[in-house]
Amino acid sequence: MTERGTLAARTAPAVGNLPGSLSASRSAARRTGPGRSARARALRDWWPYYAMMAPGLIFFAVFHYLPIWEARLAFQDVRIIPPNIWVGLKHFEVLLGSAVFWQVFANTLIISAMKIAFVFPVPILVALLLNEVRSGPLRKSIQSAIYLPHFLSWVVIAGIFIAALSPSDGVANEVRGFMGLEPRSYMTDHGSIRWVLVFSEIWRSAGWDRLLYLAAILAIDPQLYDAAEMDGATRWQKMRFVTLPGIAPTIATLFILNAGMFLSADLNQVINLSNDAVRSQIDIIDTYVYRIGLQTGEFSLATSAGLFKGILGMILIVAAHTLSKRLTGKGVW
Amino acid sequence: MRLPGRTPFERIESAIIVSTLLLLTIVCVQPLVNLLAVSLSDPARVPGMSGLAIVPRGFSTDIYALLMTNPAVQRGLVNSAMITVVGTILSVIATALMAWGLSRPGLPYRRAIFVLVLVTIVFEPGMIPDYFVNRRLGLLNTYWSVIFYKLVNAWYLIILVRFFEEIPKELLEAAEIDGANPFQVFWMVVLPLARPALATITLFYLVFRWNEFFRAMLYLSDPNLWPLQLVLRQFVIEGDKLAMVGVTDMNAYTGASAIDIRALKAGMIMLTIAPVLIIYPLILKYFTKGTMSGAVKG
Repeated sequence: MTERGTLAARTAPAVGNLPGSLSASRSAARRTGPGRSARARALRDWWPYYAMMAPGLIFFAVFHYLPIWEARLAFQDVRIIPPNIWVGLKHFEVLLGSAVFWQVFANTLIISAMKIAFVFPVPILVALLLNEVRSGPLRKSIQSAIYLPHFLSWVVIAGIFIAALSPSDGVANEVRGFMGLEPRSYMTDHGSIRWVLVFSEIWRSAGWDRLLYLAAILAIDPQLYDAAEMDGATRWQKMRFVTLPGIAPTIATLFILNAGMFLSADLNQVINLSNDAVRSQIDIIDTYVYRIGLQTGEFSLATSAGLFKGILGMILIVAAHTLSKRLTGKGVW
Repeated sequence: MRLPGRTPFERIESAIIVSTLLLLTIVCVQPLVNLLAVSLSDPARVPGMSGLAIVPRGFSTDIYALLMTNPAVQRGLVNSAMITVVGTILSVIATALMAWGLSRPGLPYRRAIFVLVLVTIVFEPGMIPDYFVNRRLGLLNTYWSVIFYKLVNAWYLIILVRFFEEIPKELLEAAEIDGANPFQVFWMVVLPLARPALATITLFYLVFRWNEFFRAMLYLSDPNLWPLQLVLRQFVIEGDKLAMVGVTDMNAYTGASAIDIRALKAGMIMLTIAPVLIIYPLILKYFTKGTMSGAVKG
């Protein structure tokens, strides 16, 4: 064994470095002379890990990084006989000059804003209320029920909402009937379809998203409640001055992160709750990309729209992450 | 029920809180119970049935019998089962193996790989490039196109890495000293210790795979390959009645008077969510332990 090999074996960190301890001394014995770089040595020691990681690494390369290269289509004209020709920013110019695109862009922002305003606070409310339920079994049963919608697909949820909102035999119009109101077709009404998106999102996520606040609530020091109790605080005062401040950082983080997703507005939801009568109201960037790309076949224009959204979205998420990190110490990752 | 609170006023408050939550509970569950009731009712008595009803009118399993003999539904079940089972197994294996490597502090290029994974969360080039990659690889109209979508979910990967990092170093070292290679350490020490976390991501992948419909819509133009979610979509969202009763011409369908489209839709929805309902108790057991509570929604 060379001088260098024994040295490597002796100085290998004792803790938390597998090849550094046992396997390194084995491979060190095989090592011949100086001249090998540290990097080559490390790779040789770690190759079993890379072998195990290979399926995952190949997946990320092929299905996440290859598409980035494929997105060059946005700067090309597709020709039936390859190669495609580079056209620079032509498709972006067409896109940004198109009234339809700006309508779709505006729809996305409006729907996202409505969701932040009306969906975002609901889980907080549910978390605060559920925290007041002292009986364990009762709380458990409520939880078990309200998580359920989160695990249903949007196809199923849309099916449920279409049934519930049906003008002929849906629950919503039954209730309207009790109140002496005319039936209304919520799914095909320009004035209500965006609210259908809001309510179906509440239905799906209010229960589950409350979990995001649970950890913060559990982390509140019980002594704070005892102290408040001694000062004669009522339930609402404890909620207002102990629980709410306790979860405020989490609320801030999640609010910023939600803002980071502003350009998404949930394709799966929209595509299932949409219909010809209201398409103009809830057509979002993603449905637009799908329609002009895969239904009409304007691949380059669709790719440029998708890329436009991807780049703006990236800026938003990174900004949200940075802001969140600065304000609350917690980021997206 | 004994409500907490010292004063009558506080008891009333408790009652209001509990009833608000119970109302939410009913709103979450009642629509599903209603669909179940409609689907199990005597189809002839379904017209006029209230959306609030939670008990079937009469009892009949005709709707399910009709659905199960519909070739589109049968194929949907098989396709969904294939995509879900194969996809989940491959996802869990690939995610766990990658997470094991990434959880080793000394792994060369560890930081770089982390950054590359995070980039995929932050930047998505869009669905058209994804489509073209699948086309280039010849995966369109195969299960693989759907299975490879999010084969390794970056969020679950990160969760699992964090979990593996918590495993006491002494245990890993003890295995090394006994001469175990990295794979043996993973198989014999890490996996058994990480069982709760693995169960959690397995359930997440299962639900995700079963519920996936958009990628199937994007990549599978052949209806014979459609998973159940797409078949349901064709029936319920697009209202394709012919496909729903499994005929090409409604006039040729002799049973038309006996079936009710609303009951058929309800039955189809119940059929599609049945697997989720079956594993739901497991989901409650593992998810709510808070393993995922640090994860961002999405």
